[in-house]
Formats: sequence, structure tokens, C-alpha cells
Amino acid sequence: MKLKLVLSASLLALAAAALPRMANAEVAPLDLVQPIADYKIYVSEHAEKLVADTKVFTDAVKAGDVDKAKSLFGSTRMSYEAIEPIAELFSDLDGSIDSRADDHEKAEKDPEFTGFHRIEYGLFSENSTKDLGPFADKLMADVTELNKRITDLTLPPEKVVGGAAVLMEEVAATKISGEEDRYSHTDLWDFKANFDGSRKIFDLVRPLVEKEDSAFVTKVSGNFDKVDTTLAKYKTADGYELYDKLTEDDRAVLAAAVNTLAEDLSTLRGKLGLN
Amino acid sequence: MTTNDNKLVTTRRNVLFGVGAAGSALTTGLTTARAAEKQGGQVTDAPVSDKTQERQSFYGLHQAGIVTPRPAAGMIASFHVLAKTPADVERLFRTLSSRIAFLMQGGTPPELDDKLPPADSGLLGPVIPPDNLTITVSLGSSFFDDRYWLAPHKPARLSRMKAFRNDALDADLCHGDLALQISSNTPDTNIHALRDVLKNLPDLMVLRWKQEGSVPVLPPKPDGTHESARNFLGFRDGSANPDANNAALMDKIVWVPENGAEPAWTRGGSYQAVRIIRNFVERWDRTPLGEQERIIGRKKATGAPHGGGSTEHDVPDYSKDPEGTITPLDAHIRLANFRTQASEANLILRRPFNYSNGVSKSGQLEQGLLFICYQADLEKGFITVQRQLDGEPLEEYIKPIGGGFFFTPPGPQDESDFVGRTLLEAAGHDVVRKS
Repeated sequence: MKLKLVLSASLLALAAAALPRMANAEVAPLDLVQPIADYKIYVSEHAEKLVADTKVFTDAVKAGDVDKAKSLFGSTRMSYEAIEPIAELFSDLDGSIDSRADDHEKAEKDPEFTGFHRIEYGLFSENSTKDLGPFADKLMADVTELNKRITDLTLPPEKVVGGAAVLMEEVAATKISGEEDRYSHTDLWDFKANFDGSRKIFDLVRPLVEKEDSAFVTKVSGNFDKVDTTLAKYKTADGYELYDKLTEDDRAVLAAAVNTLAEDLSTLRGKLGLN
Repeated sequence: MTTNDNKLVTTRRNVLFGVGAAGSALTTGLTTARAAEKQGGQVTDAPVSDKTQERQSFYGLHQAGIVTPRPAAGMIASFHVLAKTPADVERLFRTLSSRIAFLMQGGTPPELDDKLPPADSGLLGPVIPPDNLTITVSLGSSFFDDRYWLAPHKPARLSRMKAFRNDALDADLCHGDLALQISSNTPDTNIHALRDVLKNLPDLMVLRWKQEGSVPVLPPKPDGTHESARNFLGFRDGSANPDANNAALMDKIVWVPENGAEPAWTRGGSYQAVRIIRNFVERWDRTPLGEQERIIGRKKATGAPHGGGSTEHDVPDYSKDPEGTITPLDAHIRLANFRTQASEANLILRRPFNYSNGVSKSGQLEQGLLFICYQADLEKGFITVQRQLDGEPLEEYIKPIGGGFFFTPPGPQDESDFVGRTLLEAAGHDVVRKS
């Protein structure tokens, strides 16, 4: 039932956009319907998990349980990071859920600074849940709203396919430096989620590209594998090592893989004939 | 519709270029009006240069950009290199060389489907002008140390730069596996080249740091002679530079010779020393002129040495000034070059640029010298000269904060060759020359 609804929504999106001209690949627009329907399910599942995880996380914050809240911070964010290209379509929510101190003029003291990183600042920098209650409530309300909007959203194909590259651009521009989770240093959790989210999109359209350009598919998969292998070195029992454990060499390996994936995946839309 | 339009145009053309005095007058009037309009120019018109077609050759025994006269804009970009295996290093060298060859020659990048990102950033327009571009590839000590198969072939004098007495090195501005010196007539040409390289080698190189710089431009002199450009201390920089047109001298000072302690593959290469030297310009500008001139050892306006001489090219005779009454013993130019027969072994070829980055936390200008020099022997050249300078009075006004030591391999012989080939061959890697 749910799948059927999603499918028709995606068909509408495709019909609404002018039928894309083919770039170099012979991909019929209808070929994209199934991958996009599958991606909608992936996004919905992550949005729902985000709501559930955020509930447990914000409950811990509100209960004043610093240790528990800290331990949940990295994993709670992963569902958001994995679907960031879609979540970012709602810029108001993206700002209140995931903005960083330097997005605001008065940095940590700015009243507009809310969401995950504001709570992260309290937990990890001040080692306290003091005054975090209202931020916890706001975050919970925002992710709930996000989930609702995603349910109603018709996914634009070019945003979905383009999302694979967008995730890599995010990592390349602001995450490889370790500045995203600057108080908790849980950046590797974000990395993992960003890469998984990008790879999901790639894997969904992979059969369509493979027919035309198998070398491309091999190269991209190889770089995703390289990232997985590198990140696996930092896996712990319940997540990932802190970012400062990342060696200079491995950071360069990740940076090069991200840059290469960003370059290659930037051609994915064109390969599928999308504008 | 189209036909009608064409007809209309034809008719108009007939009028404009028509026979008869009236038509002629009309055409002339129009041309003049257009020329006047052009002369006026618009605010956002591109500045005009007649030097965009200046071109340097990428091929030869030596890489370009060393004895090449220094143009107005320069940059050093330092990279971490991911290529570890011989095959990957070959791909790195080949790709770099082919990009450099294209950029230095200029031309039209391939046109791709408009659903794909364009092959070129486009910032120089659809046809890339050479604009006197050179890109010089150099390798850091770590390039050899981190590749066991290359380690035995490391140039004999190549080391990781160590802090000198007055240095306050910032780790984020130091060293690197590979450095590119990019120079051309305009900063935009350099930036275009850097972006091209980054786009074409994302999996093998990661940018670590870069520093851009410039050289003040002078009007041509009526007698055709040249003078040295000035640094941000306001002094001429390079007056005592050895003559880059003297090939025999360059063989002695700049190029690694055939016979010596160096591995054979390095022949025709050179050692590159890069230093980012912050100048405390506010303080310098508040220093009496006489003191500035004593610290440097030259007259500020002319560049002439103390004790006679009217131009920067006059040579001080220290043998007649053993006490330093004319040129203080600790003056910069005196410590940098003793001007004795023995000190000829320590000569270097300087090719620096001035840099200006922003404002320090204290509200002072972050600017100084992007010092670059080349020499056949790093120990006898830069390292010895800098040791002589350690403790000089100028140190109160300067602070080296970054840079590194690199080796610049010989140039590619022709289009079938690439920078770094001789190293790969020396390491036993079979290289196929493609034509």
C-alpha cells in the first residue's frame, strides 16, 4: 500500500519535470521510477529512525543524564546525515536542526544557534545539561516536523541522483577538517552516514549506469570500498573512534576518496540524462 | 520569417556599405562613434593585456619556471600525494605533465554534453591563453621516504626543512610530498591552472597549503635596461642574483651536475627552497630610513650598496671595509653573500614573490615574502646562506612561518616524455615513452 503511493508520487514528479533529454546514456525516464521509489523508502525509514532516536537522546538530555546523552549523540545524528540531501531541501529545519556555531554571528552565544550542535556544545564543552531543556524540546519538534514533511514529499529525481554527489561535497567542504562535531569529535560517525547515504543512491541507479559505463561503476565502487576499509580501521564496539585518532595519512586517503567521488558522482545526473 | 530577416539585414548592409558618398560618410561616422564608445569603456570591462599570448616551453633539459624571468604573479601549492605504487606514481607524473603541457600551450578544452560538469572551470574564457604560464613540479623529502622503492633514489641533499633560529613554523604551512610553483602574468591564470590540476588528479593528490604572491610591475625603461623589483620592505630584491642568461653560470649554481654525489636521474634538476617569511611592515615603516638601510646594506631608493655606487648593480668591496664602517658586518646583504671566492659556492638563484594575506589577530597586516630559490646543492646553497643570516638585525622585522625543501626534477625532453620519468626509470620501473 505504502509502496504503491510512493510509486505514484514519483511518477508524478517525473511527469512534472520536462522529459529529460538523454546525455550519453540511453536511460528511459521510466527506468528511474523504481530506484526513486526505493530511495523514498530508505529516506522514510531513516526519518522515522531519526525521530525515535532523537526521542531517547532528548529524553536523556532533559533527565540530566550527561553520560547517556553523550553516548547517544553520534549514533542519533547518523539517520539525519544519511539523508541530508533530502533533509536539506527544508532549509528552515536544516538550519535549526544541524547548523553550526559559525553559521551564527554570535557563535555559541547566538540565540539562533539551536539543534544538535547546540546540545553537543552543552554536553561536551560544558559537560552539562543545564539550560539544554528548551533546545531538546525544539530539536524533537523539528525532527518530528521533518519526518512529516518527508512523508508528504515528492522526491525530485535530479535531487535524488544529485544527492550522491551533494553528500560528498558536504564532506569535502566542511567535514574532512573535523569541524562539524568540534565539541564531541564524533565526526567519523557522520562520515560513515554520509558515505552510506551516497552509496545507497549510487547502488540504486547502478544497474542503469552499468550498461553504459562499467568502468565508471567499478571506479566509484572502488572508492566507496576504500572509504569503508579506512573507516573500518576506526570502528569500536559501539561506534567509531574520536576524530583526533584519525592519522594524517588516513585523513588524506579519505580526502582523496571524497574528492574523487565528488568529481565522479557529479557526472551521475548527466549519465542518467537528468538536468 | 528567417528569410525576411535576412533580407532586411541585407538591405541594411547595402545601405551601410552602399556605393556613393552618402553611404561612405555614414559608415565612417559610425566607425568613429563606435571607437569613441570603446575608448570610454565600461566599468566592468575586462582590463586589457597584450601579453596573454606570451608562452614558455615546457620541454627541455630543465623545467620551466626556474631561469624563466619572474612574471607578476606567482604561487606555491603543496600537496599530499596518495600515489604509492610505481604505476600510480607514473599516472600522477604523466597526468600532471599532460595538464601542464596543455595549460602552458593554451588552447580549447574539450566540449562536453551540457548535462555534465564542464571540462574546464571557464574562468579564462572558452579559449585558454598561455599568459606566460609556467608550472614547476618539485618533490619533497617525504615523497621518497614514504615510498620504500623510491627511498634509495632520494637526492643526496634533500632533507625535511628544519626550523632555523628565527623561525616560528606553522605545521599547516610547511613541507609536502609535492609542490607546484605556478607563475604567470596574472593571478587568475595561476588560479585557473591550480583548479585544473586539482580537478584532474583528485585521487592522487590532496592540497595541503598554498601561498600566492605578486611582483610590483614597472613601466619599461627607455634604454631597455631592467631593474630589480621591490619587496614589501620597499627594497630592491634580487640585485645580486646571478645572471640567469649565463648558461655556464647556471650550470654551476642552479643545475645538478652530471658527475657528483647525486644520483644520475637528478641531472638537470635543481633544489628548491621555499620560505613564507612574514614581514612586520608597520614596525618597519616606523624605522628610520638610515637604520633600514644599515640593516639591509643598500640605499633604499636606488638599491646601490653603501660607500659609493649609484645603481643596484654596483658591487660592494668588503675587502676594503673589514670593520664594517661602510657596510655593517651584520647587514643583510653582507651576511647573505660574503663576496669572496669561497662564498661563490653558496650562490643561489632567487625567484621570490611578495604576499599579502589579511590581518593578524592584533590588527596588523599579514604580509611578507614568498621566498623561492634554486640551487644545485641545498646544503651549500640556501641552508648555508640562512645559517649565515641567523641572528641578523633584520630578524626583528621578519618571521619565517612556513615553506619547505623540495627537489625539482629535470624537464621532459619532448611530448613523449614527462616530468619524473628519469626517477621512475632509476627505480627500475619500466616506462614506455608514448608519442
